[in-house]
Amino acid sequence: MRRLFVALTLLALALPAPAFARGDFDPTTEFEQHEWVSIHIGGLNLSITKAVVYLMIGTVITILLGILLMRSRLALLPDRRQTVGEAIYEVTQTAIAEQGLPSKAIGRWFPYVASLALFIWVVNVLGFIPLPLTGETWHGIPTWGIYAATSSLSVTLALALLTFVFTHFEGIRWNGPVRYFKSWIPEAPKALLFLIVPLEILGQFMRLISLSVRLFANMLAGHILILTFIGLMFILESVVLAIVTVPVATAFYLFEVVIVVTIQAFIFAALSAIYIGSAIEPEH
Amino acid sequence: MSTLLAATSGDVTKAGKAIGLALGVGLGALGAGVGIGNIFGSMIQSVARQPELRGELQGIQWLGFALTEAVVFYGLLGSILAYVLV
Repeated sequence: MRRLFVALTLLALALPAPAFARGDFDPTTEFEQHEWVSIHIGGLNLSITKAVVYLMIGTVITILLGILLMRSRLALLPDRRQTVGEAIYEVTQTAIAEQGLPSKAIGRWFPYVASLALFIWVVNVLGFIPLPLTGETWHGIPTWGIYAATSSLSVTLALALLTFVFTHFEGIRWNGPVRYFKSWIPEAPKALLFLIVPLEILGQFMRLISLSVRLFANMLAGHILILTFIGLMFILESVVLAIVTVPVATAFYLFEVVIVVTIQAFIFAALSAIYIGSAIEPEH
Repeated sequence: MSTLLAATSGDVTKAGKAIGLALGVGLGALGAGVGIGNIFGSMIQSVARQPELRGELQGIQWLGFALTEAVVFYGLLGSILAYVLV
C-alpha cells in the first residue's frame, strides 16, 4: 500500500500534464482588495470591498445568533437551541470575562468581550466556508472561494484599536489620570527608571501590534497554506499531484476550522479582558 | 573562481530574499516549536499529578499555546515584509 503511494507520488511529480497549463498561479492575488462599490468622502476611501462584504455578513450572522439563541422563545427547560446559547454564554462568562475583568467591571465589559469573541469566531468560520464572493467569474458564473475578513490587517487593527482605546479610557475613568499613568512606572531603582519607563510605554503600543498581528497572521497563514497546497498542482502543472496535495490541504483545512478559528477568537477576547481588567486595577 | 562567479550571475537579489524569507520563518518555527512542546509537556505532567485540575489548566494551556504560536507569525510577517519591500 505504502509502496503504491510512493510510486504514485513519484509518477505525479514526473508527469507534466499539459491539461492544467495555467502556470502563473500566485496565491497572494487571492488577498487583493478590489473596490466593488466605490465610496470616497473627502480623502477617506470607504469603498465596499471583499473584506467589507464579509464583515457585513459576519455582523448579520452574529446578531442573528444572539437573537435566535439567547433572546427569543426562552423557556425554563431549555431545548437544544437554547442550550447552545447558554453554553456560549457560560464559556464567555467563565473562561473569558471572569479571567481578566475584576468583578466590579464585569457588568459593564462582559457584553463587549463576549460579542468580540462571538463576532471574531463568526468571521473566522465564515472565512472557511466557500462563498461565491471571489469577484471572479467563469463563463458568467461567479466562482466560489474562501476568504476571511480577519486575514486583512485593517480589520484586526480596527478591533485591536477598540480594545486599546477602551483600556486607557477605563484606566483613567476608574483611577484618575494621575494615578493611572503613575501605575505605568514600576518599582525599580531610580537610576534604572529612564530605561524602564520608555520600555513600559513602548509595551503599551506593542500590545496593539501583537493583538492585531496575531489574529491577522494566523488567518492569512492558514489560507495561504491551503491555497499553496492546492496551487501546487497549477505551479507544477500536474493534475496527478492532487493525490498528495488535496489530502494535505484538507488536513490543514480541518486543523484551521477545528482549532485555530476558535482559539484565535478566544485569545483575542481573553486578552482584551485581561488588558481592560489590568487597567482598571493596575496594582494587580 | 570564474565558475563561482558564473554560478552567481543569475538574479542574486531574488535568491537572497528567498533565503531571508526561509530563515525568518524557519527560525521562528524553531522557537515556537520548542515553546509549544514545553507547554504541552508541562500540561501532561500537571494533569498526571493532579487530574482534578484539568479544567482550570486547559484555559491557561490554550492561552499559552496561542501566545507562543504567534511568534512564528511575527517571523513570517517580518520575512514577508523583507521579501516584498527590499
